[in-house]
Amino acid sequence: MTEKIGIGRYEAEAIAAAGPSRRYDRVVRLAQAIFGMPIAALNLIGHEHQYTVSAIGFPTGTIPVDDSICRVTVQHDETVEISDLRQDERFAHIPAVLEPPRIRYYAGVPVRGQSGQNIGALCVIDLVPRRMGKQQLEMLADLGALLEHELAVQEEMDLAGTVQRQMMPSQAPDIAGVEVAGRVQPAREAGGDYYDWFVVNDAADGSRRLEVVLGDVMGKGLAASLIASEVRAVLRGHSRFTNIGCAVTETSRTVSNDLESNNKFSTLWAGQLDPVTGALDYVDAGHGLAMIVSNRGSRRLTQKYLPLGMPVLENWAMATDVLAEDEILIVVSDGFFDTLDDSFEKVDEHLKYVLEPGLTCQQIVDLIVDYAIAHDATDDVTALALRRIDPAAPVNPTETN
Amino acid sequence: MPFTETDHADYIVLAPTGKFNMVSAPLLKTRMDDLVAAGKARLIIDMSSVEFIDSSGLGALIGGLKGTRQAGGELRLAAPGDQARAVLKLTNLDRILTPYKTVEEAADGW
Repeated sequence: MTEKIGIGRYEAEAIAAAGPSRRYDRVVRLAQAIFGMPIAALNLIGHEHQYTVSAIGFPTGTIPVDDSICRVTVQHDETVEISDLRQDERFAHIPAVLEPPRIRYYAGVPVRGQSGQNIGALCVIDLVPRRMGKQQLEMLADLGALLEHELAVQEEMDLAGTVQRQMMPSQAPDIAGVEVAGRVQPAREAGGDYYDWFVVNDAADGSRRLEVVLGDVMGKGLAASLIASEVRAVLRGHSRFTNIGCAVTETSRTVSNDLESNNKFSTLWAGQLDPVTGALDYVDAGHGLAMIVSNRGSRRLTQKYLPLGMPVLENWAMATDVLAEDEILIVVSDGFFDTLDDSFEKVDEHLKYVLEPGLTCQQIVDLIVDYAIAHDATDDVTALALRRIDPAAPVNPTETN
Repeated sequence: MPFTETDHADYIVLAPTGKFNMVSAPLLKTRMDDLVAAGKARLIIDMSSVEFIDSSGLGALIGGLKGTRQAGGELRLAAPGDQARAVLKLTNLDRILTPYKTVEEAADGW
């Protein structure tokens, strides 16, 4: 017999380690309801264990693979039916047959993973011996195929989320005199929010500046994340050659067709800080949620420009400010703003904690994002914090979740 | 459908209700596209029954504005509530989606 599982065992273990997902529960519930049996389950088969990741009428959890029935099903291409487990020498001795719930009947369909090999089985179980008709067994196979699809979609989404996370900087930028941190919590696996930072050389005087960006592409999920990746990359490119106002304008021109044809738009806040002088050039493309906070109060860094992707021609020009040594720049997305009832008064009041001595920028963005998560944010939530530090201080490595 | 439609001959009033978001926005957008394709490019979106608009809702309005303008018409917003006004102001979209106080005001000149 050719090996049907092999590498699938690794995939099964990875999926089991990722934890439960309601996606599988739906199909398992459907199987239980359609066949009217007391137990339905999705069991994944690893090297040493069977992982019940979703089940009705049976606890989820882990058992030794030798006590499993699905371990046999995964060696097949087609549905396996055992009308009386007590009469089958392979299974008559396993705990689930000998002890409560004393199962008697089993039908399972192998489920394939991304490798093309089987990773587990969708099964229905009864406490009395029986036999299913051909049509019913076909229906079970259909449900198995549905589950395969669910697994594949979940894996694709997880991978997309990983790629997007990897695109956001997690290391301190290679420039002295700044501390910066950012964090995104997408509402789904991937999303339309992103932050970015990178060092640019001033075309005029050769000075080095840190550019920080927070962008929010309309919508959620994979579609929004594709557009976000494009806007991010194009702005990175244009920022190398011109000031931040022209860079945003050129970015808008470059991506406008892709935004408009997909009925998407992107708000964006981008700033360039000279760590030596504190000079801060910025553009606010309909984002509206950047502020400088200090013990002396707070001020918003906003302009009247439109987001990118509007059906009118817009030219973004930069504004200038100065980030003093005791000030912190905070940029957030509307997912955070929503959890404070879209009120700037509440935001000012809430953000007072960012001035507590000793807090790192990473701790500040964690406080902001964790607050939104705890208050049932339904949208992507993003925060970015930037301040000037003693250029002689050792670079403070930041970590991102 | 999460919106009502009233044909006033010179213009059409579409009134979305409840949450104007990822779920309902594409439905309204599709209807706006159909109306524009049928030569009805003067649209008023009556926002008075919208409890909450998110960025997908804004996207549908922008798409509608673009479609109506390309067909020689216009999309006007009537009676947005506090939340919708705040979002339009925050994103500066009130520059191109001017809110009118009432449907009657929005229809002025049509």
